[in-house]
Amino acid sequence: MSFNGFKEVIGEGDTVILYLTIHQIYSVKADVKTLSKKGATVENIFQTPYGALKCADLIGKKYGTKINLSKGWGYVLQPSPELWTLTLPHRTQIIYTPDASMIVLQLELTPNSIVIESGTGSGSLSHALIRAIKPHGHVYTFDFHEQRVQTASTEFKEHGLSEWVTVKHRDVCSAGFGSELDNVADAVFLDLPHPWLAIPHATKAIKEVGGRICSFSPCIEQVQKSCSTLAELGFQEIQTIEVLQTQYSVQARSLNVLNLDFVKIKKNDSENEKNKEKEVVRTITSVPPSTQPGHTGFLTLGTLPPVWAKSLKEQMENSNMDIE
Amino acid sequence: MNQNQIKFGDYLIIQRQGYTKLHKIKPNGTITLGKDVIQLDNIVGHKYYETFRMIVKPGSKRLYTLEEVNELTTKNQLNIEQSGADNRNIIDDGNSQALTKDEIERLRDQAVSSSDIVEKLIANSKTFNSKTEYSQEKYLKKKEKKYFEYIQVRKPSIRLLAQLFYRQDPAKTLGIRIDDLSQILTYANIQSDGKFLLYDSGTSGLVTSAIMNSIGPNTHGQLIHAHPGNECQKAAFLAMQFPQEQVDRCIHVNLYSVLRCYYQEGGNYVKGNESDKKQNQEKSGDNSQNVNQKSHSEDNAKCSGSNSESTHEANQDSQNDEITKQSNINSRKRKHSESDSNETGTVVKRPYWQLENEKACHILQEKVDSIIVVAKEHPMSIVKELLPFLKDGRTLVVFNLVKEPLQDLYFYLKNRTDFIGVKLSNNFMRNYQVLPERTHPEVIMNFGGYILSGYKLNM
Repeated sequence: MSFNGFKEVIGEGDTVILYLTIHQIYSVKADVKTLSKKGATVENIFQTPYGALKCADLIGKKYGTKINLSKGWGYVLQPSPELWTLTLPHRTQIIYTPDASMIVLQLELTPNSIVIESGTGSGSLSHALIRAIKPHGHVYTFDFHEQRVQTASTEFKEHGLSEWVTVKHRDVCSAGFGSELDNVADAVFLDLPHPWLAIPHATKAIKEVGGRICSFSPCIEQVQKSCSTLAELGFQEIQTIEVLQTQYSVQARSLNVLNLDFVKIKKNDSENEKNKEKEVVRTITSVPPSTQPGHTGFLTLGTLPPVWAKSLKEQMENSNMDIE
Repeated sequence: MNQNQIKFGDYLIIQRQGYTKLHKIKPNGTITLGKDVIQLDNIVGHKYYETFRMIVKPGSKRLYTLEEVNELTTKNQLNIEQSGADNRNIIDDGNSQALTKDEIERLRDQAVSSSDIVEKLIANSKTFNSKTEYSQEKYLKKKEKKYFEYIQVRKPSIRLLAQLFYRQDPAKTLGIRIDDLSQILTYANIQSDGKFLLYDSGTSGLVTSAIMNSIGPNTHGQLIHAHPGNECQKAAFLAMQFPQEQVDRCIHVNLYSVLRCYYQEGGNYVKGNESDKKQNQEKSGDNSQNVNQKSHSEDNAKCSGSNSESTHEANQDSQNDEITKQSNINSRKRKHSESDSNETGTVVKRPYWQLENEKACHILQEKVDSIIVVAKEHPMSIVKELLPFLKDGRTLVVFNLVKEPLQDLYFYLKNRTDFIGVKLSNNFMRNYQVLPERTHPEVIMNFGGYILSGYKLNM
């Protein structure tokens, strides 16, 4: 229940982020008991590289405090969509924070927006969407994979977010978003193998006053098809972008300076040379990782104009193509 | 529907092709786009997103009125007879256009529609028909851009404003690009509920308005916006036209002034007009710099859209006097009956800025859910001073266009031992041209800034 708003103290059943190092971050549940692989009720113990954690001990601790493990220590944080993205169980490829942030801003979400997402996947983006639209908005999220739908649904419930999200099992490319969602959405997000098949349904689902669309696709061929479908259906401000984040390691580096002055002087002056301390230059620098993801996906964005402006849609489309 | 209707007093984004401009619409107002001056009165009562055609006023040069259109005449209607296979026969001898510059200008002044101009240009071009299809399209697009006579009126949004300011001049937002903005909001965990503290010394109000936009209408979230000068930049904030209850949950305070209030009034922020006497002395010289952007400032005397960068260099005391003066003007508008009634009987009129400071101090006492620093200055001293107000387990987010100050801060936070997950990052963002057979990254790209974030612990 720890995803809804800011919380000070860990309650029973909270999902808690266990921070050991920047590369060792886990999510655990503050439950006394858990089910073992065989289905028996056992004490909830989480094994870390620094020893075991009795999850029951977390209850009543304040978020942001240090907790002791049997061979070290860690810190507990309240989960945010970002921390959840780092720790969630992957059932699919997920959308990472730099893309998710851009999607939320580009879809122009506010705390009363209605947004449609397809597919739900592992629910990484869904959490960011829900945070953006709470408390007056709603997320309708669709996936064609039944088990994912159920797992996501359970997760939202456990996270205390069910009120703001409806998870549905449906193949939106063939079946659309359902007539109950005609003209209700402020924004539609698509992460599908064939997004262009869902775009006509998105057009139906977007409000009469217009709305935004975003499609996330890893491949440029998908982007090309999506863009031409968007243009045909009267979307404006069609734009494709790519965002990659680099995280730097900030380091102080000491570099020896070679003294090359003495080469110009005859050897017998070598006493001076001995007395000289080795010169070292200290510099602070930020080092990018030696490898990092060089591609996640293209974000294809567009605006569906309001009904009263649609008569001009196709013509304006051509002239607006090159907006940055 | 009403809120989709354009009325006097609204802030609009006027869009002509890829170009956008923020404008406040006033009776008899005009807007200048390039060399063209456009009268805007005709669009009042129309709806946002409608398209208007620019019509030359008879007898005038480059002065236009607007007329709603339901149909565009663009290149779609042009008949292109012939295309070449490649450019082997095209020679750049400067003579391919038979029309002279003067002749083209004359066409323009005669209110000939853009498509007619483009048609004439083609008819008089010796090389057009030997250009390839793609090249013809490019040519048309280029010419159309130059003679485009339609504008669209958009309602401001954070997305449009971020793009608009960045395109005009990245310095207007201290270099914050749209992806930077999106991540600042994310890492600061901005949401409808929660209390946030922002120090912003000059993003044209973009960060303030983006946070308020994420806090949303009819919620409980609050933002303290601390700024260094006597006035904060507010162009984007005004442009968003938030409802009053939402505006009221954004507390603009001078950083020095609010901290002085916090530390020197000892928790009892219900005092003193000592500065009242002094406040009439200064000012006058300062007003001039605000005049040039007065369209943004007149709504709200305390904050203007203008750049107050020189003020933070002045010493603290004079700034305080100035802000006193500024907000006094404002306090006339606002009722502070609520606070007056708290004082038993005696009517003590405290200036608006002081009420805002007190409001902010009450929040600071309870501490905030995240701190965002977007500073022109070195962020270190600001961060050090603000960190005591951050709740445990919550995030600090600092933006800077260059990484060196953030590197300093990185080491400082690492040494504090009550910070974890300290990250320094920046983004590579690229736009793509997607056209059949001609998809490639856009030729021009730009560079964003750096973001440092981290979680504060209870130690």
